[in-house]
Amino acid sequence: MKRIMILAALLALTGCATKSGLYEWGGYDALLYQSYKEPAGAQKNMQTLAAHIDALEKGGKRVAPGLHADLGTMLLQAGDKNGALGNFRRERELWPESAVLMDAMIKNLETQNKPEARS
Amino acid sequence: MKRLLTLAASLLTLVLTGCATNVVKTDLSKFEAAKPRSILVVPATNKSLDVDAPTYLLTTLTVPLAEKGFYVFPVHTAKTVLEQEGLYEGEQIHNQPPEQLAKLFGADAVLYVKINQWDAKYVVLSTTVTVDFDYRLVGKDGTELWKANKRMVYSPQQQNTGHPLANLIAAAVTAAIERAKPNYMPLAQMANNDVFVWGPTAIPNGPYAPKAQ
Repeated sequence: MKRIMILAALLALTGCATKSGLYEWGGYDALLYQSYKEPAGAQKNMQTLAAHIDALEKGGKRVAPGLHADLGTMLLQAGDKNGALGNFRRERELWPESAVLMDAMIKNLETQNKPEARS
Repeated sequence: MKRLLTLAASLLTLVLTGCATNVVKTDLSKFEAAKPRSILVVPATNKSLDVDAPTYLLTTLTVPLAEKGFYVFPVHTAKTVLEQEGLYEGEQIHNQPPEQLAKLFGADAVLYVKINQWDAKYVVLSTTVTVDFDYRLVGKDGTELWKANKRMVYSPQQQNTGHPLANLIAAAVTAAIERAKPNYMPLAQMANNDVFVWGPTAIPNGPYAPKAQ
């Protein structure tokens, strides 16, 4: 296994300039997968994602598309409306393409007081 | 470790498939004319027997598309919103007019995936894991912008499949097989990366990709 890594790294370094990713995902896809697979761990996964996003924001790095929004939805499902609102607003700020959806999510939260639907 | 192996396989494949050029190109004229900035990924339809496959697959689609430079709508949020609209199953969602879905989310394009196969066959000495997907990207006006099919098979008994990518997946998938419950994620990730990024069907870069030159 180690050999594979070393080989891969060597080939990559000696080959063309490797394109490093646009974003630091912090295992977003794996966290989401784990939460769908084992919902009992969803809370912990949500906290891991929140910590990752927090670190990126503090470091002045661009947070990948959808991370704030999905964290917001997770927070909403956990009952934290204010946390959800903050994340929806931040997603909208970072990504203008999200405006229609985020405006709807924000408006929904601001105008409704009924308990939120769960997925 | 799993992530490392996936990374290793990705790096290797990147190198082996060449850094820049695709020899055979699919028709991208409609994609290029539409110039989508944002992509809504909706839950897949499922022809496999694994009821969890669409949800698991959903988690693998954001990263390759966003790394291509597109705004990808938050998949968990989109799934939740669709459920609130009464749309739980991929079949129901795929039957909605794409124009309407795009409008609801403010998306430039919608990605539909059909899962043709997602299974593991156990024989005495070997396990064959197969995923097979049809991908279709539709613009907000209903025009089909791009489509592709990808089938990935992994069998530890015949590692030399003649396909460099399939051979490389071996390490990642072997590591992922836990007891009798295989993890399809590395195979699904490879399929996605192959159709969107590496293979002859690769899509153009989105607005957030670094400019060439």
